Amino acid sequence: MNAPHETALQLLARKLNLHHRLSDADQLAILGLPHKIRRLEAQSYILREGDRPDRCAVLLEGYAFRHKLTGEGARQILAINIPGEALDFQNLFLEEADHNVQMLSRGIIADVQREAIEALIAEHSEIGRAILITTLVEASIFREWVVNIGQRDSRSRIAHLLCEFAYRLNAQALNTSAVYELPITQEQLADATGLTPVHVNRVLQALQREGLIERDRRMIRFPSWERMRDVADFNPRYLHTVDLAS
Amino acid sequence: MTDASLLGALFRRWKRRLRLSEEDEAAVVNLTWARKQYQRDAYLTREGEHVKACTVLLQGFAYRQKVLSDGSRQIISFHIPGEFLDIQNCLLEVADHNVQALTRCLVAIVPKELLLQVMSARPAVRQAIWLDSLLDASVFREWVVNVGRRDAKQRIAHLLCELALRMEAAGLGHKPLFDFPLTQEQLADATGLTAVHTNRTLQALRKSGLIALTASKLTIPDWDALAEAGDFSERYLHHSV
Repeated sequence: MNAPHETALQLLARKLNLHHRLSDADQLAILGLPHKIRRLEAQSYILREGDRPDRCAVLLEGYAFRHKLTGEGARQILAINIPGEALDFQNLFLEEADHNVQMLSRGIIADVQREAIEALIAEHSEIGRAILITTLVEASIFREWVVNIGQRDSRSRIAHLLCEFAYRLNAQALNTSAVYELPITQEQLADATGLTPVHVNRVLQALQREGLIERDRRMIRFPSWERMRDVADFNPRYLHTVDLAS
Repeated sequence: MTDASLLGALFRRWKRRLRLSEEDEAAVVNLTWARKQYQRDAYLTREGEHVKACTVLLQGFAYRQKVLSDGSRQIISFHIPGEFLDIQNCLLEVADHNVQALTRCLVAIVPKELLLQVMSARPAVRQAIWLDSLLDASVFREWVVNVGRRDAKQRIAHLLCELALRMEAAGLGHKPLFDFPLTQEQLADATGLTAVHTNRTLQALRKSGLIALTASKLTIPDWDALAEAGDFSERYLHHSV
């Protein structure tokens, strides 16, 4: 049944290996996790705040995002997830989800039972360490987002988000060119940066005028990574990956 | 208090959530650690450092912050006794933020290698430490929401609610009166507001009777009213787990 995706969890193994070196045996154990493939439309919910999850989705294709709503219904996006990332390691030992996880684009996920992950961690201590470190890196990204929204002006804020996205895609070898697909609306970009859509639109146009970004529908390109990085005040240290020196 | 009972407090907090054995307790209480005092504002860890030890806060308050290239500071979290300050920096090799003493602090410094040994020998202890870091992450997420989508009054009220509830859960205070060692500048840096705006907002909260703030003491006369003003819902603290 899993035939077309026999090596579906390869991306997850690669992601975990990025933060903590795993032996071949450990990587095989990850590939052997029982899972169920599901195709999802954009906007599909994977997890809702208040759910008591019994499984963890691994994103195989497409993008997903985490968000929360305030009491007044305003939405704040907390993270954007890319293929290879597990969408629910954050809730591993917590009973109740404290945020929503939704597909940003159409995509494919592999559902893994939480018990299977717990058993894997119990039997393979190094995989446990790798998953722990991965959750810590996610926490580091949340910290950086507090800084981004709390202290950076709108121009740096948006540039920072774009830099992070590109850097993470490169780090996971999901993209090797200088052109990135970013299927995010201006409204979503606003919700990720604590700005209004009108403000985001103005900033994107300014970045484009200054030649910092080039956009063609969903595709975005940075003519000069160095200039973009400086505008964004982007230092990849918080992503804790090997330095790509790009 | 004896040294053993100091880390015992950490263990008791874990025990409220997780099933831990006497062997687990012995492994934690018998950890080798050094006691260290820090003065107010002293740095425990600086961004970029290779962290070789993990710190547990025993007395006093501490906070984490990051500084931007233009010098502006964002506070990322506050910490109360019984919490790990540096588990993240310690396991991630290179510190991605600064850790600073908010008040005079007493901390237990556990060498990284010893902690890793206990974590691999005692899976339940590893799970407890892991759970702590997931709870930290949940608080970071809520702070993203706080600075991103709440107005000044909500932001500050939310932060006050969080601190009060965490202290109460840790047995360090009771409604309506709490220790409150933050300056207005720190409050501003934690909420992404200017010092002037923070001052005005605090005055407004006082005037409407939602808080009283005197000499490092915070009084919350009507918890429900402040929680409502702060759009505060405690799910993200996962206290009921």
